[in-house]
Amino acid sequence: MTNRRLAPLLLIIAFAVLPLFAQQQADRVKEVGGKFLCMCGCGQVLTQCNHVGCTVSTSMLKELGTMVNRGDSEDKITQTFVQEFGTTVYAEPPKSGFSLVAWLMPVFYFLIGAGIVVFFIMKWRKQAPAPAAVAPAGVHISPEAYERARSQANRDTED
Amino acid sequence: MDVFGSFTLLLAFVCAVYALVGGIAAIITRHPLLVKSTRQAGMATCVLIFIATFSLEYLLFTDNFSQAYVVSHSNRDLSAFYKVAALWSGQEGSLLFWSFLLSIYVISVLIAYRNKNGELMPYVGVVLAGVQTFFLTLNNFVESPFKTLATVNASGVLEPFTRVDGNGLNPLLQYPEMVIHPPNLYSGYTGFTIPFAFALAALLARYPGEKWIHLTRKWTMIAWCFQSVGILLGAHWAYAVLGWGGYWGWDPVENASLLPWLTGTAFLHSVMMQEKRGMMKVWNVWLVFCTFLLCILGTFLTRSGIVSSVHAFANSHIGPWFVGFLGLTLLVCFVAYYLNRDYLKSENQLDSMISRESSFLFNNLLFLVACIAVLSGTLFPVISEGLSGSRISVGAPFFNKIMIPVGLAILFLTGVGPLLAWRKTSGDSLKRNFGWPVIFGLLCGVAAFFMGYRDTFSIICLVLCGFVFWTIVMEFYRGAKVISARTGMSKIMSAHELAMRNTRRYGGYVVHFGMVLVFIGLAGSAFNTDVQRPMNIGESMKLGPYTLVLQSADTKPEQNYTAQRMIVEVLKNNKQLMMLYPEKRQFQGTEQANGTMVAIYSTLREDVYVVFAGIDPDSSLPVIHAFLNPLVKWIWLGGVWVVMGTLLALMPNRRAALAVGLVPQTTASPITQALNPSVTLREGHD
Repeated sequence: MTNRRLAPLLLIIAFAVLPLFAQQQADRVKEVGGKFLCMCGCGQVLTQCNHVGCTVSTSMLKELGTMVNRGDSEDKITQTFVQEFGTTVYAEPPKSGFSLVAWLMPVFYFLIGAGIVVFFIMKWRKQAPAPAAVAPAGVHISPEAYERARSQANRDTED
Repeated sequence: MDVFGSFTLLLAFVCAVYALVGGIAAIITRHPLLVKSTRQAGMATCVLIFIATFSLEYLLFTDNFSQAYVVSHSNRDLSAFYKVAALWSGQEGSLLFWSFLLSIYVISVLIAYRNKNGELMPYVGVVLAGVQTFFLTLNNFVESPFKTLATVNASGVLEPFTRVDGNGLNPLLQYPEMVIHPPNLYSGYTGFTIPFAFALAALLARYPGEKWIHLTRKWTMIAWCFQSVGILLGAHWAYAVLGWGGYWGWDPVENASLLPWLTGTAFLHSVMMQEKRGMMKVWNVWLVFCTFLLCILGTFLTRSGIVSSVHAFANSHIGPWFVGFLGLTLLVCFVAYYLNRDYLKSENQLDSMISRESSFLFNNLLFLVACIAVLSGTLFPVISEGLSGSRISVGAPFFNKIMIPVGLAILFLTGVGPLLAWRKTSGDSLKRNFGWPVIFGLLCGVAAFFMGYRDTFSIICLVLCGFVFWTIVMEFYRGAKVISARTGMSKIMSAHELAMRNTRRYGGYVVHFGMVLVFIGLAGSAFNTDVQRPMNIGESMKLGPYTLVLQSADTKPEQNYTAQRMIVEVLKNNKQLMMLYPEKRQFQGTEQANGTMVAIYSTLREDVYVVFAGIDPDSSLPVIHAFLNPLVKWIWLGGVWVVMGTLLALMPNRRAALAVGLVPQTTASPITQALNPSVTLREGHD
């Protein structure tokens, strides 16, 4: 009797949860699929490849869907794809081993570059002469000095 | 005509070699006749290249199917419009086109400066002749566009033959933008040869001062403008033709076009440091060298097939030639720099960390980091294969993660730079200048948030766009206010007058405004959505606030292809907005027979982008793939402003001549007169 009462309830819960589950699976396919490239040669992310008649992305997405539905971990899915297609399947280099170099290079260049810029700014500031004393009111300057000052001011403020 | 074209190309090579070798001899001997004859040889080279290029176009237009190039890239049904584009659709033709565009620049320079800069020009001529010689070597001996079809007959003798029709042009190239995108991009690539030639020549000639920068400023801006337009047109072509819903996929060839643009942009900024403060001379020379080398690298990547790309339409074995030329050029640059580095001593003085100079230094740092990141990412698959044995792909997610923060930092400096004074910026000035732009930027962010934009980077981008926009408005407003007060003109006319008096500065701000629009468009990409499914006639699907109804399908025969069209009605709130016609094209006679034509309903808010993705094999129904891409139109509008800004910057300044009134010497010192000038304004032009 209890089972009879529970059955419709379970059915209702199942119907309510199933779409959520399906949506979760689709989101996961999109998330994991975004980490691989379509191997048709288009160079696009697997979930974004929509080349007319691209059979490669269709079969790859199908395979990915099966693995996601089976509950395979991301690592396992990655291993499967790498075994099947090689390391060219990665949409971005893995953050381990030799591939880590690709990630570190821009950061390394930025830090080195920033260091060099700051070093030169400090060095050039040391070379800068002390600011000239303000001329007391009423002191005349020569026309040449005035012209020099004006052209310097023009140069400094033009752009 | 093919023999004639081939002969003129060979003659052009001879002239270029003479201009190179004779030019070196002229520099050594300083014999005026030799100088003159090598200059004329340089001009003759250009004219001969023009003739050879027109010969190839003539062969294409007259359907001369005895020529291998015409057979491979044209057919009888190809419209005249695309027969022009066939010139650069293949390896041989595109290399000839490179020479052609370079020749336009070279002959312009040789004519413009024929009676000027007598010391420098022989060196410039030699460098230009060197570059031309390289490309003419490829045109004549490696990838000649004038090859006649021939077959071996029964007696073992080569016998020419003519095909009835050609293979046709690659369908992906049969799109109006492909007629203007490559010439723009190539004009950018080739245009950077001019500043390179002047920089190297100035170094070799130990030419004093910043003369080479003044001489090449406009050439650099022209090349930069072409490169910018070329990149944007390429992006628009990818958006409208490739049908994947995006405009920038960090494809190796796209990256190759971006590299010289990044260093060229850095150069356009850092060059001001040299002009104003006599600083960064070594840096500027090397930036120009790198920009040119990256142009050659870009051509190499596009044409060699070293990296796979959807944009590379021709692959061959010319790689070693380009590597050799790159190596030789780098060696020449390095030796020239090493021998003459004492002539690049800078005045290197900085008054403050918070100054326009510092902002330029950081701006250059970011552009260079962006360039190195894109270059290393593009070449990483090749490097990883060489070093570790396995080829590791680097796709869009990598570039987005690296380039979005760098791009935002550059956008921030775009706003900060103009607010900082040369030499030193005081704390008060900072507060005064930054207040309103920061408030406006934050308001933009809040508005974006309430409009439903929830991506962190996009919101930061929109805040920065607002900030930069307001700094530009302030720059115009302040200057216009002064002119308006003096002349009584309206604020708008005063702003126009202001821009015309310092075209370079205000043209630069217009370019910055264009870049703000581009960034607004880029910010929208985080909110792209799409839906794809097979549809029966009469069926509808929802895409955001829109409803797409597949009304019917038809087949439309055209001259060179047959189009299979889907007729899709776009509705919003049950009101019809427009009909879209996405189609698949079946081209006759081409090796790659299919093409896509995307249909786009574009507004400032968003694009409804509809692709006919083919026929579903299970249901035999047409598959419609629809995207909702917010803010894309802003990117193309930004491009228009970038061009307008560059054109403004290229115009000569209108000068407001000052007629100083007679003021008794006893009443004020000259410096007081300068501060309170008794002046009348007299307008005039340069």
